[in-house]
Amino acid sequence: MNHYVSDFEKDDDCAIPTSSTLTRSKRSITSEDEIMELLWQNGQVVVQSQTQMSLKKSQHHKYDNTVLPIEQSTPREIRSSHEQQQHLLMQEDEMAPWLHYPLNDTNFDQDFCADLLYPSTACVTSTTTNTSAAPIRSTHNPEARLHPAVSAATATATATNTATASRPPIPPTRRAEVVQNFAYFSRHRARGGVSESGPSNLKTVLKESTVVDSSDTPAMVSESRISEAAFARSTAGVSSGDNACGIMSGAAVAGTSSRGGGSNNKDLITCEMTVTSSPGGSSASAEPPSQKLATDDRKRKGREDETEYHSEDVEFESTDAKRQLRGSTSMKRSRAAEVHNLSERRRRDRINEKMRALQELIPRCNKSDKASMLDEAIEYLKSLQLQIQMMSMGCSMVPMMFPGIQQYMLPLGMGMGMGMGTEMGMNRPMMPFPNVLAGAPMPTPAAAAHLGPRFPNPTFHMPTIPTPAPDPSRIQATNQSDPMLSAISTQNPNLQHRVLNFSDPYQQYLGLQQTQTPVSQNQAKTRPITSKPGTSQAAENLDNHQSGRHSISLIIGFYKRNCPCLVEGL
Amino acid sequence: MSSRRSRQPAAPPRITDDQIIELVSKLRQLLPEIRHRRSDKVSASKVLQETCNYVRSLHREVDDLSERLSQLLATIDADSPEAAIIRSLIM
Repeated sequence: MNHYVSDFEKDDDCAIPTSSTLTRSKRSITSEDEIMELLWQNGQVVVQSQTQMSLKKSQHHKYDNTVLPIEQSTPREIRSSHEQQQHLLMQEDEMAPWLHYPLNDTNFDQDFCADLLYPSTACVTSTTTNTSAAPIRSTHNPEARLHPAVSAATATATATNTATASRPPIPPTRRAEVVQNFAYFSRHRARGGVSESGPSNLKTVLKESTVVDSSDTPAMVSESRISEAAFARSTAGVSSGDNACGIMSGAAVAGTSSRGGGSNNKDLITCEMTVTSSPGGSSASAEPPSQKLATDDRKRKGREDETEYHSEDVEFESTDAKRQLRGSTSMKRSRAAEVHNLSERRRRDRINEKMRALQELIPRCNKSDKASMLDEAIEYLKSLQLQIQMMSMGCSMVPMMFPGIQQYMLPLGMGMGMGMGTEMGMNRPMMPFPNVLAGAPMPTPAAAAHLGPRFPNPTFHMPTIPTPAPDPSRIQATNQSDPMLSAISTQNPNLQHRVLNFSDPYQQYLGLQQTQTPVSQNQAKTRPITSKPGTSQAAENLDNHQSGRHSISLIIGFYKRNCPCLVEGL
Repeated sequence: MSSRRSRQPAAPPRITDDQIIELVSKLRQLLPEIRHRRSDKVSASKVLQETCNYVRSLHREVDDLSERLSQLLATIDADSPEAAIIRSLIM
């Protein structure tokens, strides 16, 4: 600290714009220290964090100037162009909160500035290089996080140059800015403390800064940087590097998951502070000097404690710091819980999003219920599979319209009826339909299986051999309608007959979908011929339907027109 | 789903998680890819995703088959029974 103080003084002397400014800065510094201390007291670290943050901000400012340019051209330009001015402004802003407290030591401020300036540079360098010193690690991590995109070399070089260049003007400017920024700083502080339930405001701010630096919101970052640059810089500059570093590291770590939406100002300030502080904190030497500076006065001492505390936190990482701050592991648990809730929410959102997508794919799905929607999805999937199976069969069979096809026609017709019935059933559940299909489809798989191997067999003995018992009516009808069908078809009478018979079920199902007639037709056809229990049940069900009787009459009429021989029994 | 957190499950209380799990497993059985894999590792999200993809692929297949059937329909006599079959298939 001592040597830092001296450095600070030297820097200060070099760049002291006005004595008044210095005074103000001094005052602000002290006040900053006081503020920081107070903050710490309140939130155990808040007060200190403020001062540290202010210092950090100033340092951060320098750092930002160097780093930001890399990340954001606009703010960088602004900053670079007004670096010194900003430093001055920021310093004033940072000092503003400090003004509230009596100035105790100008040297302290200067020292802070020096420390901040110097450490910032070093930190930037080290941060960019991602050194992993224990105290530095924490600071570096946040910095790295803060400026992941910043090229190490570039940032380092720039930061170093800027830091060095800005060092002299920063201290005096910081002081001036500190006074002005105090209001902002206090505001930020308050917000940070209020908004963030986690560790000290500093941490919160650091978190936010981390978030901001991580460029979650480029606009926000840029805006915050530009607007808050002054604040942050002043704050950073004022705040001790150690504290800033420690806080920053803690905040950064804690802030990884922070929404960071609190306030751009806070974020900016935090970022800047963090950055500056981290550079300072990253370098072990930087931290102690800042600590020493802090201990210039009683506030400084408090700050030292805080910085030490921060350094400890940094070493132990944010969680420990938080714990120390809170004095319990509840914060850690709560944070873990928050993180878990977040992940849980994300998981649920993903699932809900997929459910919505599935709902859109399923036609006529008006269910908002998860379970019912899944049920419909399952049924629709089955019907789709069946439909595709039938269609593929039809595609393969139609080009091969020869007697051998007949054996496929039967299962195709049955399968089609089943598939279509299933699909239609899904859309409009019809009692008789499943029953009718139950009677027909049951034999269908058997028929299909039975007929399957017969497909290559061109010599298809339509009437009896291929068709199993399930469809004796059709077979008989086919036989009966042979003469008639031959007249109708130009191809093999059997085939035509077969086809006609098969087409009937399709037409039946189609009609059933509209008028439920085909079902009756099927029943009418089968009723006189066979007494299948399924069909009888289907018939009964059909009768129960409104259009049962009407459909039956329609079916009979159809058969009379097309297959008079078939309706002999009707 | 964890209910130990303050967050409440999104599903209505009458729908139990077991119900959802059962439905998801049923759905899983229908999916060709997941069926061959270990089912206990598949998450609901993945199952839903696979289902959506499978439904879309089935839709595409249906469209292709319909296209082919319509082409076949054009080649054959429109009054033939086969045409009727094809029409029913396409319908």
